[in-house]
Amino acid sequence: MKNDLVLRVVAKILLPFMLMFALYVQFHGDFGPGGGFQAGVIAAAAFVFYIIVYGLSAGRRLAPDRVVEAMLAAGVLLYAGIGLAGIALGGNFLDYFVLGADPVAGQLRGIFWVEAGVGITVASVMLKLFTMFSARARGDGQ
Amino acid sequence: MNALAAHYAYWVTIGLMVAGLVILITRGNLLKKLIGLAVLQTSVYLLYIVPGKLVGGTAPIVAAGFTTYSNPLPHVLILTAIVVGVATLALGLAIVVRIREAYGSIEEEEILARDGAEE
Repeated sequence: MKNDLVLRVVAKILLPFMLMFALYVQFHGDFGPGGGFQAGVIAAAAFVFYIIVYGLSAGRRLAPDRVVEAMLAAGVLLYAGIGLAGIALGGNFLDYFVLGADPVAGQLRGIFWVEAGVGITVASVMLKLFTMFSARARGDGQ
Repeated sequence: MNALAAHYAYWVTIGLMVAGLVILITRGNLLKKLIGLAVLQTSVYLLYIVPGKLVGGTAPIVAAGFTTYSNPLPHVLILTAIVVGVATLALGLAIVVRIREAYGSIEEEEILARDGAEE
């Protein structure tokens, strides 16, 4: 689909909105339906869309494998780090109440960073799954 | 009749479940089998989420002016089920890719025929 002008232009216009929607779902998770899982999948869908339209090599330039793999681990480490921060500040593992000046502020800060970790990991895992499958198809000569 | 129409979400669930199962059993193409599995999983998500929804209920966040909340527990359970569904789908696709490389086909009958010929 590399030579389809309509698709290329539409993809370029749509991509920022898809990423913006992913961020909206991510940060709206504090107040309503949303959160890291959904936001991660939407963000990954934007990159998958880019790869489908512009090809795998262009997608790999945009999101290099090393960066995606680093994000994959960084999200999990962020999640676990919040849990350990709770212990370090005198609470239990994943205890949000001790993270802020008062329990409500602590809850807000804790859930924000935990969801950020979830979002980063889910987005990179989905993107990694897609790039691994499409790289395999290319090696097969298809 | 009214009771049947009022619970249309359950009929959608049953329809999806049967459709997924039929695809899973009758199709020989391994990719189509995986699609059937995904449809079947989706019907299970609905089976859990539909009873948790209350008409007029909002997200279970305490706020002024809202007294009716939908049950959040099915959503949490199904969030996990969706993640598991993605993982099983990816694993199934990986196995199909490997079968395609080894047998040159993803049609069940051709794969079984090749297995029979080699014995």
